Amino acid sequence: MNTIKLLGATALFAGTLVVSWITHGGGVVSDDPARNIAIPETLTVPLQVQAAYNADTMFFRYRWPAERPGIFHDMMLFTDGAWVNKGGAVPGSQPDGLHEDRVAMMLDDGSVPEFSRYGGYITIGQGLATLTDEAPEEVTKYLPMTRNTLGQWDDMAPDSVQANLRSAGYFLDLWHWRGGRSNPVGAADDQNIATGRDGDAGGSSYGTNWDSDLNQPKFMFDEATAGYAALKWDDVMAGTITQDQTYALISGQAVAYDPAHVWQEGDVLPRRFVRTPTESRADIAVVGGQGRWADGFWDVTLSRALDTGHPEDDKILRDHGSYDVAFAIHRNATGARWHYVSLPFSLGLGHEADIVATPFVGRTPTWGDTWTDVTLFYPGQVTWPMLNSDMHAGAGSIAQGIPVAARHSPEQLANYGIEVEFRQQIRRQWMLTLLAGVVLIAAFGVALNATISNQKGA
Amino acid sequence: MAAYHVVMVHFPIALWMIASLCIFIRALDSGPLGQAMDRALPVFLVLGVLAGALAYLLGTQVWPWQTLSSTPMGRNHMLVASWSLAYFALLAVIRVLHGADMWNGMARWVMVLLSGIGVVLVGITGTLGGHLVGNYTEVGEILRLLGWEIYTTFYVPDMTLYIIAAVSVVLVALGFLGRRARA
Repeated sequence: MNTIKLLGATALFAGTLVVSWITHGGGVVSDDPARNIAIPETLTVPLQVQAAYNADTMFFRYRWPAERPGIFHDMMLFTDGAWVNKGGAVPGSQPDGLHEDRVAMMLDDGSVPEFSRYGGYITIGQGLATLTDEAPEEVTKYLPMTRNTLGQWDDMAPDSVQANLRSAGYFLDLWHWRGGRSNPVGAADDQNIATGRDGDAGGSSYGTNWDSDLNQPKFMFDEATAGYAALKWDDVMAGTITQDQTYALISGQAVAYDPAHVWQEGDVLPRRFVRTPTESRADIAVVGGQGRWADGFWDVTLSRALDTGHPEDDKILRDHGSYDVAFAIHRNATGARWHYVSLPFSLGLGHEADIVATPFVGRTPTWGDTWTDVTLFYPGQVTWPMLNSDMHAGAGSIAQGIPVAARHSPEQLANYGIEVEFRQQIRRQWMLTLLAGVVLIAAFGVALNATISNQKGA
Repeated sequence: MAAYHVVMVHFPIALWMIASLCIFIRALDSGPLGQAMDRALPVFLVLGVLAGALAYLLGTQVWPWQTLSSTPMGRNHMLVASWSLAYFALLAVIRVLHGADMWNGMARWVMVLLSGIGVVLVGITGTLGGHLVGNYTEVGEILRLLGWEIYTTFYVPDMTLYIIAAVSVVLVALGFLGRRARA
């Protein structure tokens, strides 16, 4: 009888351990749009990069997998006699598959001291838009020294300090290729990050295709050249519209909206028109006219003058110079913080670095098969103030200047990023699990003690 | 405090490993060697628990509670350390209370099972501690293959907590039923 009790107690105990092992990690992590939480199914994505330069121009080539080409941003659907917006930003993937694909690269010349060690993490200040605790007004990426206090998004450094920081080069150059809002005109959005994520001086490559005075779209496709005045919603949803046809409303090619046109149920127009950017914002071009998607991969090559003549908007590149870069992509109809990012990489123009830019003579580089492989990862909601606080065991390492790559891998950071999004819930569940385990061990001890006592008594 | 913790943890690890070896040998051998192991066992177990408790206490002082309870590796290290200490405390109590009687019948194999689990837990605790200070091992890869990504916090869902609570009640009831039967 005692043996049966002992075996029964042991089986119960062991069975509970097995159940705990099998079910661990469940019950907490799930999408919660109300808290701006949407966890992607895939946590890491490969990106391949090549770099080259000639006497006056820098070239970067990017290649990454995407199931479908995100060539549309938001759209307007004609239904029930009215134009309805589709593709507005949501946490995670947009349900209709609308939101452009993107590749972005932050570039620095050493003027932003932490960037080479921590990459884009330094730009994630408190209160950024789409964080769970986002500020009441839209706050975009910013650099730490543009605020008086770490963690205070609205405590701006004085204008005189901002001006000095800018002239000292304390900003990140941002190359921002957009699959829907810049690629059709062969451009990338030339931006920078300092007090926020802003466009360089000049006009952007896109505008809103809605005339709020007339309450109608501004542009439609030119039937004479495109063959249609509007796209069809079903075709957009099916992904049958390709880059080989007219899919964007390009200023100068599109025609003014005609309300007298016989619009059909299911007609759809892009909610943005695209145009050639101007001034400093137009510094980055797409080589080959457009970045192309084929066979499940984007292949995008960007070029920019080594010296754009805009030293307070762009990082000026020089032969044999050393720089730092970090990358990000958006895919699967995501926007805002639902991107994949990289750790920082060193860039050497003609000398050894993580990414070596090869010098060449001629107009365009001849790319070989040598790529730098970059692992992009979902970053979650890890902010720079948090990393420097007592919520991060490595805060001391940051204070010592130890680079993130010395401590963490992209895969590790993706998991940590998710953990941060559920910090309170996971902490609670972890404490309960710890206590439950101790209670279970103690309970088994009670049963074991009694059983052995019985054997002694017998 | 980290340096003291790192030094201190080696004592319970050594004592618990040798205690587990004693249990294994005693379970297999009731002869002079096994008897000798059994006589040494309470010393190793009790000293191991005392040293383990001290190392645990020092470990809680390495980082503030906010840090320890906010980082996945810190949480995991503390969780597995807590369970390791509980396991070997249980073994120590059983051995002290029951002496050589614990080797009668099936109980000896239960002791082997418990000490085996304890050894695994101590191994994982040490592995996670190594990761925390930047010394990585392949044990983490083995755990990953077995289904636990060690860079995520180990926790169970509410349903499993309820199961653990229910099983704990049943086990305690079995204990009390055993006492009444003995009386």
